[in-house]
Amino acid sequence: MSLATAIAIKRGSQARATILGEFLSAGCIGVLLGLFVTFVVVEHGRGFGAIAAGPWTGWPRNGTSDTDPYTRAILAYSGEMSLSESEGMSFVAHGDSKGAELDPACDYVLKGEIPSARYWTLTLLSPAGAPIANPAGRPSFTSSEVLRAGDGQFEITLSRHARPGNWLPIGDTSKFILVLRLYDSELGSPAAALDSASMPGLVKSRCE
Amino acid sequence: MNQIDRLLAALLWLLGVLAVAGITHIVAVFALPEIAAKDTYARISELAKPGQLTILPPSRPDKQVMPFADPAMVQSVCPFDLSQGGLRLHADVEGDRLLTFSFRTSAGQVFYSMTDLAAQQGKIDVVVLTAEQLEIVEGEADEDDPSQDLRLVAPEPQGFVFVSALAVYQSDRVDAEERVKSVACAVEQVAQD
Repeated sequence: MSLATAIAIKRGSQARATILGEFLSAGCIGVLLGLFVTFVVVEHGRGFGAIAAGPWTGWPRNGTSDTDPYTRAILAYSGEMSLSESEGMSFVAHGDSKGAELDPACDYVLKGEIPSARYWTLTLLSPAGAPIANPAGRPSFTSSEVLRAGDGQFEITLSRHARPGNWLPIGDTSKFILVLRLYDSELGSPAAALDSASMPGLVKSRCE
Repeated sequence: MNQIDRLLAALLWLLGVLAVAGITHIVAVFALPEIAAKDTYARISELAKPGQLTILPPSRPDKQVMPFADPAMVQSVCPFDLSQGGLRLHADVEGDRLLTFSFRTSAGQVFYSMTDLAAQQGKIDVVVLTAEQLEIVEGEADEDDPSQDLRLVAPEPQGFVFVSALAVYQSDRVDAEERVKSVACAVEQVAQD
């Protein structure tokens, strides 16, 4: 073997090793990137097909067999059993009517129309979906429990401190969300027609 | 290699990374419900046996069976494994009080749901079957005396039926539990030939 041939072979194997290395690095980084993106999506994602009205957002398709792969992955990851289509419809509020994030140091007043349903419940939860301990031991209001004025209207006050009337205690937490569930509601499929006037507003009053 | 070659090589490498990342992401999104389903089914099977309706403990701040559960609802679950036979669910519905039923795959996806409003003459009778079991049951059906059962084909052999009752007032909880307990859920043998 001449020296020139030996050098050529060595260069060739070096080039092959470099190419192999690049393939491997591209593969590994690609897999990691793909898994990372998936994690971010299921951890923070909200799925498709959301409808929003005022501070409320709902996912009418979550309780059907017609969900997209992302929604399926997100729901399976969280372990949440979303309300099925015939049970009703649930809405989540992370912020008030002006869009500001809900702050446990403030009082909020919930009032306005609630779409017609056989029953509704309003629940205060942590953003991860856990109940929040409060001294009054009241985690939620149902449509039957709420005290109404003569004309059927009502207000629910959310506060850390006892308030007259319908008081939903916020408890000792740094963040909270509200979930409004409408059982046996007539919303169903024409849910897209929902607008903010047909859902209750959430107005911030005083803060500590 | 001149600079353009290097740039092209780097671009090609980047495209490779993106392609692998894309494929991994798609595979992971589709695989996740399968993986999580085993976890959910195992977690719920610890609390409830297949073919038995079990009331789930109410969510507490430090411990919940499922996140985002409604504290006003008394929830119960009846897991099913159709390899051991069909699942029969029977409920007598009284009065105008909310009782909901959702039939789910092991990943929690709903394949059928109903409320007490769907009751026929105050009764709800549902049988959950696999496609093969449905054929056997339909083959045996008596044409002169048609069954009033609602027959559902489950998309996969394992899954759950969730039965929930609303405690309209906090003091109604015991009553709601009684309503849930009155629902019967049992394995039903399907004659194999």
